Amino acid sequence: MVRYSAKAGVLSAIFMGLGQLYNRQVVKGILFLLAEILYIIFILPYNIESIRGLITLGDKPQEIVDGKIIQGDHSIFLMVFGIISVIVLLLFIVFYLLNIRDAIAVGKQREHGRVPAGFINSLKTASEKGFPYLFLSPAVILILFITVVPLIFGILIAFTNYSSPDHLPPRNLVDWVGFDNFINLFKLSTFSRTFFGVALWTVVWAVVSSVTAFFTGMFFAVLINSKGVAVKKFWRTIFILPWAMPGFISILIMRNMFNGQFGPINKYLQAIGLGAVPWLADKTWAKITCLLVNLWLAFPYYMAMISGVLTSISNELYEAASIEGANAVKQFTKITLPIVMYSTAPLLIMGIAHNFNNFNLIYLLTMGNPTNTSYSYAGHTDILLSWLYKLTLDQSQFHMASVVSIIIFVIVAVMSVINFSYTKSFREEDMVQ
Amino acid sequence: MSRKIIELKNLTKSYNGTKAVDNINLFIRENEFITLLGPSGCGKTTTLRMIGGFENPDSGDILFEGVRINDLPPYKRNINTIFQRYALFTHMNVYENIAFGLRIKKTPKDEMDRRIKKMLKLVELEGFEKRHVDSLSGGQQQRVAIARALVNEPKVLLLDEPLAALDLKLRKEMQIELMDMQKNVGITFIYVTHDQEEALTMSDTVVVMNNGVIQQVGSPVDIYNEPKNRFVADFIGESNILEGVMIEDYLVEFAGKKFKCVDKGFQHNEPVDVVIRPEDIDVTRREDGLLEGVVTSVVFKGVHYEMLVESNGFEYMIHSTDMQEVGSEVGLTFGPEDIHVMKREVTEIEKQG
Ligand SMILES: Nc1ncnc2c1ncn2[C@@H]1O[C@H](COP(=O)(O)OP(=O)(O)O)[C@@H](O)[C@H]1O
Ligand SMILES: [Mg+2]
Repeated sequence: MVRYSAKAGVLSAIFMGLGQLYNRQVVKGILFLLAEILYIIFILPYNIESIRGLITLGDKPQEIVDGKIIQGDHSIFLMVFGIISVIVLLLFIVFYLLNIRDAIAVGKQREHGRVPAGFINSLKTASEKGFPYLFLSPAVILILFITVVPLIFGILIAFTNYSSPDHLPPRNLVDWVGFDNFINLFKLSTFSRTFFGVALWTVVWAVVSSVTAFFTGMFFAVLINSKGVAVKKFWRTIFILPWAMPGFISILIMRNMFNGQFGPINKYLQAIGLGAVPWLADKTWAKITCLLVNLWLAFPYYMAMISGVLTSISNELYEAASIEGANAVKQFTKITLPIVMYSTAPLLIMGIAHNFNNFNLIYLLTMGNPTNTSYSYAGHTDILLSWLYKLTLDQSQFHMASVVSIIIFVIVAVMSVINFSYTKSFREEDMVQ
Repeated sequence: MSRKIIELKNLTKSYNGTKAVDNINLFIRENEFITLLGPSGCGKTTTLRMIGGFENPDSGDILFEGVRINDLPPYKRNINTIFQRYALFTHMNVYENIAFGLRIKKTPKDEMDRRIKKMLKLVELEGFEKRHVDSLSGGQQQRVAIARALVNEPKVLLLDEPLAALDLKLRKEMQIELMDMQKNVGITFIYVTHDQEEALTMSDTVVVMNNGVIQQVGSPVDIYNEPKNRFVADFIGESNILEGVMIEDYLVEFAGKKFKCVDKGFQHNEPVDVVIRPEDIDVTRREDGLLEGVVTSVVFKGVHYEMLVESNGFEYMIHSTDMQEVGSEVGLTFGPEDIHVMKREVTEIEKQG
């Protein structure tokens, strides 16, 4: 028996299309051949150049000769083009492998004595089998360039010294620095103090803000749903209002209301004889204010969700419990609470993940202030994300920002995974004692 | 006769001005299987909920072993309820569902284990302790609900259409099981259903209700054979109900003729309703019948033929094992004891002591 497949495979590995030609698939072979030739002539040199740029990040700095600026290499552009080139190269390699696989497959058919399909026919089967892929591929390519490239770019920045004032293109070149930034974040006291301080507050903020909003929401939901309350719709509408308003408007209004000097809240406190409170100026009060404002904004959401769960609990359940001698408190702890937690605990965890990155509220309300002199570029109420914002947009510390964003990503990813498995285990197991 | 365990005296309950239960008087004996039967909306559930303590009557008294319990909360009544949709605690497993009340009463662990084991054995769910109630079939959920109710050892169990959600076959099985269980445990069942067959099969006593009013109380045989009025006769089974006049005691006139009967105690020439059950009418040759008619339809029903015979403008339904051709002229006969004479107007009828 002739080993067509091995020969065809080797030939196609040497140069695209050779295997197909060997398999007597002339048109296909020529097309593959042409593809590789075009790639080698038009794309490969450019690819090599860009990938070299990615590795060096430029070696010709900007110079000023006789008062004129002579442009040097722009490290960041080099990096972006380098990433794109790597992806293009990878796509070409995948294409190359497909070509080899095709040659081997057709070779196998010939070993079994079948005549390889003509061009039109293979086009037909390809379009039939590959129809979904054909439709998916534009989206995949779009995702590659719109999502994956920036993602890789963002991650790679963490391994460079891209930052103000000495490594800011086009004036300066940027260099690879390996894991230095990660090490500095934990070791360099200015950064590590800021990082741990801000991270601690971020976690406290995320948990406390969500938990308070959740249980306040539950409290109002239970209250509104209880038997004695008339016109439930009215109460529900009233309480849902803070949530219905666009968040950033409410936050800006709140910021004015809590203003230490001119805010109506302090004016009111003074009018009734209590002193003014440094709502936004004092480091502790500022944190409390953040929590209060978030409570006001977020509890209606939980109230609405929990109301939905409550109305779905059949009244018979409470009657059954009351026959068994359960009083109102027991009915709440043994029926309402477990059932509500059972179906809304994932919402709570999602809320924590959301608040972990609740940039809007912190930045619009306090801008991270009051400033903390022992922090670098962060204030007392800054959370990781708002610190990140300051690092990039105000301070151009892109290298550190990138490190922080990678850490945020890991934390949020872990929380999502936990949430996911938690929800699943919730569904599958008993949750009582 | 065992003693009365529950008495309802002039019990009335209205919702938004309409009477759901209208001046009901009824007593229930110890260990009795009593069924409230009636069409949907006739006030069965409302009556049951007042006995259970979930609704307060507008007026009237509920007595338990002679003591007024109107103001007792449900858990102090020694009465337990099986709800229509079981009302199981879906966030707990089978064991915890049954243990719910015992835990609240702080029952010691070993006693609790023992009692729950006994209950699971009773309802044939041994080994299901750790199962989530959501994973059980309708019939099994029903059993858990029964176990949860019985573990408190109540004297009376209220069951509101407990089998309505089950399919026909399972329903028949559960009917028998419930009857056995009631006899074995030896407690009083107050059962609610709109299914007359179920009521007649299972009960010691049937209470037929309509529009919040008790129509008749009696044993299934009494109710079937001696319906007190047109509504009961109609609701209990297929019947020939004719309008007639009671000429005098033991003599009634309908279908243009006078017939001997066994009923008495009516006014002279009082308008009445007359019921003759389809299986009590015999078909004879035309000249031998009390009435003459023409067969208009015949349907075979498995054990008998169901025939319609038109006579004098009235269609009689007849169940017979002998078939007649459609269109043939036949005679109809029945004895005096087959004629049931009922008062014409719907009246409130009280159970006799
Ligand atoms: N909670 C309630 N609110 C208003 N009307 C009610 C309520 N419960 C029952 N009713 C009315 O009372 C009547 C009797 O209802 P119910 O006792 O549930 O009948 P059944 O159980 O025999 O079907 C019906 O007309 C019903 O609409
Ligand atoms: Mg009902």
